[in-house]
Amino acid sequence: MKPFFAVLKKELLSYFFSPLAYVILTAFLILNGGIFYIILSYLNSPTAPHGAVLKAFFGGNVFYWFYILFIIPALTMRLISEEKRLGTLETLMTSPITETQVILSKFFASLIIYLFLWLFTFIYVVILISYTSIDLMPVLTGYIGIILQGSAFLSAGILASSFSRNQIVSAIWAFVILIILFTFGFLYQLVPSPKFKNVVEYATLWEQMEWFGKGIIDTRGIIYSLSLTILFLFLSIQVLKFRKWR
Amino acid sequence: MIEVQNLTKVYVENKAVDNISFSIKEGEIVGFLGPNGAGKTTTLRMITGFLPPTEGKVYIGGYDISENSLEARKLIGYMPESASLYNELRVIEYLKFRGELNGVPKKELKGNIDYILDACLIKDVENTIIGNLSKGYRQRVALAGVLVHNPKVLILDEPTIGLDPVQIVKIRELIKEIGRERTVFLSTHILPEAEMVSDRVLVIDKGKILAQDTPQNLKNTLRGNVVYEVIIKPIFENIEEFKKIEGVLEVEKVKEEGLEVLLRITGEKNIDLREKIFDFVKEKNFKILKLNEISLSMEDVFLRLTMEEKEVVQ
Repeated sequence: MKPFFAVLKKELLSYFFSPLAYVILTAFLILNGGIFYIILSYLNSPTAPHGAVLKAFFGGNVFYWFYILFIIPALTMRLISEEKRLGTLETLMTSPITETQVILSKFFASLIIYLFLWLFTFIYVVILISYTSIDLMPVLTGYIGIILQGSAFLSAGILASSFSRNQIVSAIWAFVILIILFTFGFLYQLVPSPKFKNVVEYATLWEQMEWFGKGIIDTRGIIYSLSLTILFLFLSIQVLKFRKWR
Repeated sequence: MIEVQNLTKVYVENKAVDNISFSIKEGEIVGFLGPNGAGKTTTLRMITGFLPPTEGKVYIGGYDISENSLEARKLIGYMPESASLYNELRVIEYLKFRGELNGVPKKELKGNIDYILDACLIKDVENTIIGNLSKGYRQRVALAGVLVHNPKVLILDEPTIGLDPVQIVKIRELIKEIGRERTVFLSTHILPEAEMVSDRVLVIDKGKILAQDTPQNLKNTLRGNVVYEVIIKPIFENIEEFKKIEGVLEVEKVKEEGLEVLLRITGEKNIDLREKIFDFVKEKNFKILKLNEISLSMEDVFLRLTMEEKEVVQ
């Protein structure tokens, strides 16, 4: 376990020593602050709906998806690419650490940073509570949804990062995978067979996130995100081992 | 300590390493000498387990590098050619990371790092960000990085490449120093370097081991006839007289310039003729302005190796 924590710690240090984390954090806070302001203004109008007030905040708005699709690739693009470009992959993989430990430590490092970003949005909840009474359970499930979907997206980003020595190429790959994941669910409207329609609908990320935002813990969403995470991490480990097949 | 058996690596139709075997005893410093592209890096990558061999086996301290990979890797400190480092970390953070990665207990880590900082002469940059270091410092930090966990076996790929002459001397001294208690296997394409630091040299070319011996024996077997360049003042007309010196095979006048003449004298191998040439010229009341041994080698690999060294020196 020691090598795992060594790499985890090093990745976290690297995040905070590079300007990237701060740029992402700033962009994230500006966007989220704006969205929160818009949601508040809307909820203040007399025609506003009742129920889970932060539903719109957790995935219920189109902006959420826009910035997730950009921020995740930015967070993961350098994780493996940079090791390949610098040649540090060679020193790393000749140390007593397995490919699985390398991928997992990098995954958890990016997840910690991702959650760190979301930690700041907790202020919005505090602001709301201080002015009005809100139901906290939907907020909690909203955060759970963000952790689960975040895991799936980040592991996709890590897979993309293992493809290339070039960070930009990795970011583009990550973006492509996320776009496919995101749009896949919308295809259900085009599928004629009702059988397949259900299958595709099952994979609609937007809908899954809305359920979480409403306070509903939907096993579909949990299983879908977890299996994507495991699949992408597994593939990343295989790509890292690929040098051994040649 | 290192046991290599019938190691072969084939990249799509191209045999980079061709059925090589050798073993290195505990405490030995062995140079791995060969021109660029001879298969040195591929061999080192297989020994350290980064690349699997197409055929053959590698044992480190008795552990098979493919089957007991983690156990074997614990014994190794490997520095790849490019001195690859994480540019955003400080030196001290990097060394801590390397220590933790290799499972050094917390209690020992601090002591190890202090010792390494001194030994590698990088104490003064311990808080510098690696990205801001000069090439020489980077090389020493990379070397420090492989020493933190006090490995029994050090494998260094071209540790002095790209350094200036002063830094090269420092790194060579450092390797000799740390090699006192460890098994060191280092690759180089420079013969004098192998000669300077190692007890034994393996010569590799085109994926095959051509020779393995002590540097001195190797030099003697590889050495062909020796050529001396001599500048004499005033002009020495009767150059055939040089053949009276025992061991001189041929004399040739290269050019005259004013009152000076440049001669090329070929002598037998394994005899140093410089003193005899000097005495001979003095006896004739001429003056030597320059006396130079220009080529040591007729053998192909050796020639290529010395050419590389000249490039480095210039």
